[in-house]
Amino acid sequence: MPVPVVEFTDERLANGLRVIVAEDHLAPVVGVHVWYNVGSKHEVAGKTGFAHLFEHVMFQGSANVGKTEHMQLVQAAGGTLNGTTWLDRTNYYETLPSHELELALWLEADRMGTLLEALSQENLDNQRDVVKNEKRWSYDNRPYGSWSEKLFGHLFPVDHPYHHPTIGSMEDLDAASLEDVSQFFATYYAPNNATIAIAGDCEHDQVMAWAEQYFGPIPANPAIPPLPDASLPPTLGEEIRETVEDRVPLPRLYIGFRAPVYGDDRLDALELACQLLSGGRSSRLHKRLVRDERIAQDVEIGPWGFVTGSSVCLGVATVRPGVEVETVEKAFFEELERLATEIPGEDEMTRAKALTEADELGSLARVEERARRLAEYSGLFDDPDLINSLLPRYLAVTAEQVRDAARETFRADNRVILTYIPAPGAATDGEGGDTQDGDGADGHQSSDTGEEAA
Amino acid sequence: MSAGREMITQRPVPGHPRPYDFPHTVRTELANGLRLIVTPMQGRELIAATLAFRNGAVDEPAAVGGATVLAARALTEGTEVRDAIELTEAAERLGASIHAEAGWDATSAGLDVPASRLAPAMELLAEVVRRPRYPESEIDRLRDERLTDLLQARADPRRRADEAYVSSIYAPSSPYRRPAGGTAETVAALTPADLRAVHARAYVPSSAALVVVGDVEPDAVVQIAEDLFGAWSGAEGVAQAPIDDTGAVDRRFVRVVHRPGSVQTEIRIGHRGLPRRHADFFAVSVMSMILGGLFNSRLNANLREDKGYTYGASAGFDLRRARGPFTARAAVNTEATVPSLGEFFKELALIREELVSEDELRSARDFLIGVFPLRFETPGPVAGSLSGLFIHGLPDDELAHYRAAIEAVTAEDVRRVAHEHIRPERSAVILLGDHEAFAADLEAANLGPIDVVRDAEPVAPAEEG
Repeated sequence: MPVPVVEFTDERLANGLRVIVAEDHLAPVVGVHVWYNVGSKHEVAGKTGFAHLFEHVMFQGSANVGKTEHMQLVQAAGGTLNGTTWLDRTNYYETLPSHELELALWLEADRMGTLLEALSQENLDNQRDVVKNEKRWSYDNRPYGSWSEKLFGHLFPVDHPYHHPTIGSMEDLDAASLEDVSQFFATYYAPNNATIAIAGDCEHDQVMAWAEQYFGPIPANPAIPPLPDASLPPTLGEEIRETVEDRVPLPRLYIGFRAPVYGDDRLDALELACQLLSGGRSSRLHKRLVRDERIAQDVEIGPWGFVTGSSVCLGVATVRPGVEVETVEKAFFEELERLATEIPGEDEMTRAKALTEADELGSLARVEERARRLAEYSGLFDDPDLINSLLPRYLAVTAEQVRDAARETFRADNRVILTYIPAPGAATDGEGGDTQDGDGADGHQSSDTGEEAA
Repeated sequence: MSAGREMITQRPVPGHPRPYDFPHTVRTELANGLRLIVTPMQGRELIAATLAFRNGAVDEPAAVGGATVLAARALTEGTEVRDAIELTEAAERLGASIHAEAGWDATSAGLDVPASRLAPAMELLAEVVRRPRYPESEIDRLRDERLTDLLQARADPRRRADEAYVSSIYAPSSPYRRPAGGTAETVAALTPADLRAVHARAYVPSSAALVVVGDVEPDAVVQIAEDLFGAWSGAEGVAQAPIDDTGAVDRRFVRVVHRPGSVQTEIRIGHRGLPRRHADFFAVSVMSMILGGLFNSRLNANLREDKGYTYGASAGFDLRRARGPFTARAAVNTEATVPSLGEFFKELALIREELVSEDELRSARDFLIGVFPLRFETPGPVAGSLSGLFIHGLPDDELAHYRAAIEAVTAEDVRRVAHEHIRPERSAVILLGDHEAFAADLEAANLGPIDVVRDAEPVAPAEEG
């Protein structure tokens, strides 16, 4: 079952904008993905949350586009869109019926070239309020909502750019000024700091002509400051524990490890290790903690790939009522230790790879995902062909490499253990209900999350 | 660099749309009544296969509330041939994961699998659906997991607000008043026998459709279905009783679920809405987009982009077999609670009384029409839509007519359906938040009688100011 090869072209305009085009005419739709090599890791002390606030400002209009008109025009064209900010990047994307591609290119070029012409204090203040409500909704008013800030705070030293959360602090958001917006834009939102990938129903020559026409006039910034050295020791060097009281009915463990940087093939092996640990109902952690011993309500572990200094590998387990937290913690680490010492069996490896291959087949069928991958691999690794080479690399990982990756990462002196416990007086009466049928547990992770515009 | 060249200020005009039709779909039926719906999509190697049953949580007796959802979840917990782990592993070797779930309207069991392994994967699906074992020990576990989940829901502001909302807008006789997955009381009493009863009643070929979408040959799929399901017999589908969707909102009232120290208030406003099968479906779709669906919908443009009260405000109808809820919603910072209510009611009144602008109407229609090929780019959503038609008993050609029907909606239609289906003066207003912070303003706003629910709650931890 070979996953089809994605053919693409990879060119640069004179101003440095990288343009990647992957034609495919199966469906009359096209995906556009603009990737800027700027994320919350570029923020300095006192300015946390700024990259994300800036992303919101990108929807507030530019010289020829009114406030929120970008959203309006794309949706009225039958398209979908969003933007996200994360540690290593900020991205903006649209998926549209293919005859509306030119609109998306014009819109993206207009804000890349002329954002500041439409910038106003009123719009900045409005989006500051929106982002503060996003922070309240996603973190402050949510059970266990502080976990990521705490975990990253422990995994990275205070002076490391991954130490602070992408959403930022209320104080820093309050302090963001128009001058900050102008400077950030002038510094990082330059064509030579961006990649645009177009995938789907389009014609290469036409796309390149439009790219030149719309993006060509935007000047490059020859002086994009390099990120200061942020290399880190591969492991924490100690075990760090924190206990957090929260208004939650059940204790929950959050576990964090430092892990090899994104792009290092040891991270591929670690990903496979995590698949064996918690991918599906026959996986090791799920089978033991949830099914057999029934001490956890849910359990999950997986790597989050980052390119600067270190990735992380994060685990979570919710403790069932009446069970000691220590019991869950002990079982969790025993399973990690077993994988770190014993080579996994061939059938287990084969099943994990077969599932990954099928997932990939589904993911790459969507133009939005193809455009996203091409832009990401180009932006982070200068290698868009990873869209074709990553899967074979992953499928070639051996059982020994999985064990070795587990052994290097899952060490006692490389972990943070965050234990949430119900605050005194927390509701545990067991009454009530809900309106959903999902596996209710929130806080479940995805490996490529971030703050979204909408 | 292209010094001196100017940015293009002129917005481009759209090119010529490539013709798009919902993919051609083949329909047939086995002798036992099982419908087969097959949609070939060239080049789509990951096949979506779903067995949909027209039987959901709404069809179960109140005393066993949650049995239908649990019966679906337990379907993959073992068959007469294999236990749950063997079953999972067999599917994984094929690159497939089998899932089963039930909601208010329906139950489904399905899988995604590469085309070359469709036949063996379908064998597993047939085994799961026709010969589940419902082992007592796994049922015990799933039941406990559900009870624990209910405990978690109580502490989550969003889920607690949703629960308080539905229990406020439906009468005690209506199943919609409770969660589809059941309450702690009913779930705690469920036994394997209850789940087997659901299976015997609901998982029968005469009330099922097998939907297969992707790069497949219809003849080959029909052959597979004949082999695996041809000899499947089951109770003749019992005629379904009418659904009790009696509402409980005869005047406007406010219910506050007090959460001390809450930095936001979760707002839910509304009442029961209308069923999916309704002559106003298309006009209501357009109206909902304008009121609270699009990014620039009136609610979001007002509460988010103008006032900054929220990360997002929306409104919509949950269109079920009977009258599901109409809900307008947002999470707003605590200080904005009462001002937000004013804006909500202003917008709800406006869309009922005045014609929407041509621009708004065109944006909403163009979105629903234009997004059609995006919605159906891959097999999963195509299978989902076809299952939906079957579940709701809608005509086979519904999707072929969809775009023309949306195009025909007028501003007058929008006003009429808003007037008819939205009732601000007879709506429940649920506020989950710190009552003490807005009690006086709420009282002064004079929206209707106010009652305050106090959950057993922890002392609030310190929050940002």
